[in-house]
Amino acid sequence: MHHHVVVGAISGLTAGLVLGGVMIVDGADTPALLPAGSSAVLILAHFAAAVAIGAGFGRVFRYQPRGYAALISSGLMVGLLWWIVGPLTLVPLLRGNLPTWSLEEATAVFPNLIAALLYGSLTGLFYYLLVPAVKRRWPPPQPSAAFAQPATPTHVVVLGGGFGGVAVAQRLEQLHVGDPSPQITLVSQSNYLLFTPMLAEVAGSSLEAQHISAPVRASCPHTRFYRGQVTHIDLEAQVVYIAEAPTSSLHYDHLVLALGSVPHYRDLPGMEEYSFSLKSLQDATNLRNHVIGLLERADVEADPDKRRRQLTFVVAGGGFAGTEMIAELFDLVHSALRYYPNVPTDELRFVLVHSRDRILPEIGSELAEYALGKLRDRGIEFLLETRVAGATPEAILLGDGTTVQTRTVVWTAGSQPNPLLASLPCERSRTGALLADSTLRITGHENLWAVGDCAQIPDPDKEGTYYPPTAQHALREGKAVAENIAAVERGDSLKPFRFKTIGVLVGLGHRTAVAEIRGRRFSGLLAWLLWRGVYLSKLPGLEKKVRVLFDWTIDLFFPRDIVLTAEPTPTLPQTLAAEEAVHEQV
Amino acid sequence: MNRSDVVRGAVIPGALAGVAGGLAFGAAMIELGILDSIALLVRAESPVLGFFIHMVVAAVIGAGFGLLVWYQRPEVGETVFWGLTYGAAWWFIGAVTLLPLLSGEPIAWDVDSARELLPALLGHLIYGSVAALALVALQGAQYKAAGAFNVGWSAVVRGVIAGLAGGFLLGSALEDQLGLPAISAVMTDKSRLAAWLVALSVGSLAGLGYALLYPRATDGAGPALIRGMAYGFLWWVVVALTLLPLIDGGGLRWSVDDVRAGFQTLPGYLLFLGALPALLYQWLTVLERALLSDDVGYRAHEGLGTQGLRAIGRGAVAGLAGGLVFTIVMVQIGFLTTVASLIDRESVYIGFVVHLIVANLIGVGYGLLFVRRSNNVGSALGWGVAYGVLWWLMGPLTLLPVLVGEAPQWTVEAATAAYPALVGHLAYGAFLGVTFFWLESRHNPWWITRNDAEAERARRAADQLLSSAPALWGLTVLIALTIPVLLAG
Repeated sequence: MHHHVVVGAISGLTAGLVLGGVMIVDGADTPALLPAGSSAVLILAHFAAAVAIGAGFGRVFRYQPRGYAALISSGLMVGLLWWIVGPLTLVPLLRGNLPTWSLEEATAVFPNLIAALLYGSLTGLFYYLLVPAVKRRWPPPQPSAAFAQPATPTHVVVLGGGFGGVAVAQRLEQLHVGDPSPQITLVSQSNYLLFTPMLAEVAGSSLEAQHISAPVRASCPHTRFYRGQVTHIDLEAQVVYIAEAPTSSLHYDHLVLALGSVPHYRDLPGMEEYSFSLKSLQDATNLRNHVIGLLERADVEADPDKRRRQLTFVVAGGGFAGTEMIAELFDLVHSALRYYPNVPTDELRFVLVHSRDRILPEIGSELAEYALGKLRDRGIEFLLETRVAGATPEAILLGDGTTVQTRTVVWTAGSQPNPLLASLPCERSRTGALLADSTLRITGHENLWAVGDCAQIPDPDKEGTYYPPTAQHALREGKAVAENIAAVERGDSLKPFRFKTIGVLVGLGHRTAVAEIRGRRFSGLLAWLLWRGVYLSKLPGLEKKVRVLFDWTIDLFFPRDIVLTAEPTPTLPQTLAAEEAVHEQV
Repeated sequence: MNRSDVVRGAVIPGALAGVAGGLAFGAAMIELGILDSIALLVRAESPVLGFFIHMVVAAVIGAGFGLLVWYQRPEVGETVFWGLTYGAAWWFIGAVTLLPLLSGEPIAWDVDSARELLPALLGHLIYGSVAALALVALQGAQYKAAGAFNVGWSAVVRGVIAGLAGGFLLGSALEDQLGLPAISAVMTDKSRLAAWLVALSVGSLAGLGYALLYPRATDGAGPALIRGMAYGFLWWVVVALTLLPLIDGGGLRWSVDDVRAGFQTLPGYLLFLGALPALLYQWLTVLERALLSDDVGYRAHEGLGTQGLRAIGRGAVAGLAGGLVFTIVMVQIGFLTTVASLIDRESVYIGFVVHLIVANLIGVGYGLLFVRRSNNVGSALGWGVAYGVLWWLMGPLTLLPVLVGEAPQWTVEAATAAYPALVGHLAYGAFLGVTFFWLESRHNPWWITRNDAEAERARRAADQLLSSAPALWGLTVLIALTIPVLLAG
């Protein structure tokens, strides 16, 4: 780069000298790059401009063998542009006037235009002639062994393709633009980055499943991707073992754990077998198909007890996911009802079971009250301060010994860090999350990092508190890890991770939502618009944004789609068969 | 490539082409009676000697042209535009600088001397284009091998359709402001029907000519627009200033006063006989390819939607960047109130907002037209400023008057009054182009590795330098900056 600038400057100077020659031949007051008298200062300024323009030319335009025509005519253009910058703008300014760029002024400095044009073309020509000559005389230094690429570039392996993992890979790519080191590899079981906050809408059939997920390969273009399950991590040998991939082991220099969490059923009897979780696309489409399947069944069901069970929908957990889910289920069923004339509306039941005294612990009590009131008004039942004790194929058991007869239990009441972490010889929290320090490095390990739901990350500003496991945190933690890894490689000091929650948005269906952003509270239609806008802007990938926008627009004008995309759903026949068995025993 | 190859392949054909160009220029000089000025070089005043010297010089400069385009892409249109730029440059080097120097006179860099030499500028432009065409003929085998002569019927049809549309618009625009007969500066007493026929046939001929120059559409819509502008200029010189007056029997109309009178058709030629037909031709070609060919998409292609949306976003940002720079000029020349008058307001602040919105929209246009056409800061600058010139013609001279309810102002007075706006548009274009390039260069489609993307960009840059793009950047800015100055007064 320097090389080109210097050659450009020399070319510019030479062209300036030629013009100077013309000036001498022509007589004293021939103008050059600046409107001149022949004073020494102006002559000096002329050559300074000549060198500067030439250097700029060398910086901007590339030498290319046989490309002389292009360089000459580009030089001509640069000369003309200089005329605008120099004689028309800078010179009036230096003389203490504001430039007017008027025709009169242009006419007065027209000779400079011709000078600049000739100067520029000559600079281009000289540049073309000089570059190869300079290269021959002073060949550019070959990269010596010390500066050559290391034989094996640093290998960063990221486990997990969620917000945290993808953010690590993306930030590392950004930090190493144009530099093949380090090599980045991402291992994940699914080949897409799932926008989990929209899962409830997929389950509610208002969004297409594929639209809320972007291929990891698209999100991090320069990362090697392996789809497969991590079976074992050997910290001593720095090797990760993967099932289902041709390369069964990966050696790493830095390992980032972003494995996320899995549902945690707290050993409640029957809960894992008979409830729906909401962690993956598969979960969401299963639930959607299950609900539509139940409506199909209920429409032809003669037994009122069975029908009631089929038309009762229970969500366990009153957090952000559970609240959105119950609202979506309510909307889905009511939007689909017109197709099921034999389903009696009064037999529909929507129940949310929550262990605490108020829902939505993530936001302030006022908004939570608002949400509760809104949903209750619609007819959703809330069983607060009620624990779940278990599930059977046809009921959910509650802590007080009562049951709610239902075929649909959605479990959002607990999750735990990925069980794979249990095999690692690292310190873990009570919930099983890896203990990281504030630079996101796992305590006691130099090259082991963790982000997102699988890590417990201390808030350096509030002693003894930890960052919550949310998507917005995982994203920022991923970036911070990438920067710290780059810092380690450079030998710089690490930065602690600091982030203040931006806000929480909860969609309540029916064009209402509640939102708390930086302490400001919103509810109703405004919050709903905010919710949609923010989610849309955060959705990864331009194409998916467009698709979701279309889905939403269609959803405004048309009823929700009741097409069963998988028949039979994995859970429905199972529960039905179980029910038949129970009845036979009776 | 050894020396004799270059001599045989470039210098000799170039010199011969120069002779052809020299004949055309010489004929014009005889017509104008200025041939003897050349003889001043050897301190003589004989026209015959002058003609002889003229032809020798023409051959030498022609050899230079042969060398200049020796490695350039063999495409008829590309060579013609190089010729046009080369001719214009030689007016500055030869007629304005060397000729006076060698004749022992002060060089003619002041406006008055340059004005006097205006006929010679037109002569140089004719010289350059004729020499280019002659060179194409002389090196026909090369061009044929590269497929530059494969003009199919569909290209002709596309060209004529594009040209007819341009001719129609040119006719309408002229009828609005000057009366249709202004299609030729000298056609004053002709009937309206005849004038329409002239407009439409000139239009279709222009479209046809463009199709002959570019049987294969090249390099995307934006570059086509800029090529078209240069092509429109060539047509103005050849048709409006030369052929139509000759057909009318009025002799060559190359004096400053004549050219000044003919200026009123220049924006029309640039926009409606040049830029528009070229753009339409390009789009029709793309349409034909999309509908009728089995083209399997390039791997590098991201799909129209993604690419288009990205281009819109980047163009909008780049347009704002350029618009903010332009604001400095606007404030300085007090133009913001004029902009505000677009929506019937007078406030400077409203003018500022309107200006930014317009800058934004024009930036989006740039994004869509020039997507992936700038491969380094140099070409970004080139396309940007050329696009700025286009909008100087489209904006202050054409649309702005139309939108406030007047006719387009294609007069020398309007153009010279809008000279500060030209500077503003150039600054706008430069920042627009460079910002857009910067935004675009940070991204490459995910299925291409970064190294491959860089290699591809380098390859495109190399290709572009062997096209006429650099000549067009220089020529466009040159025309825009000099013509108003030369014609003012």
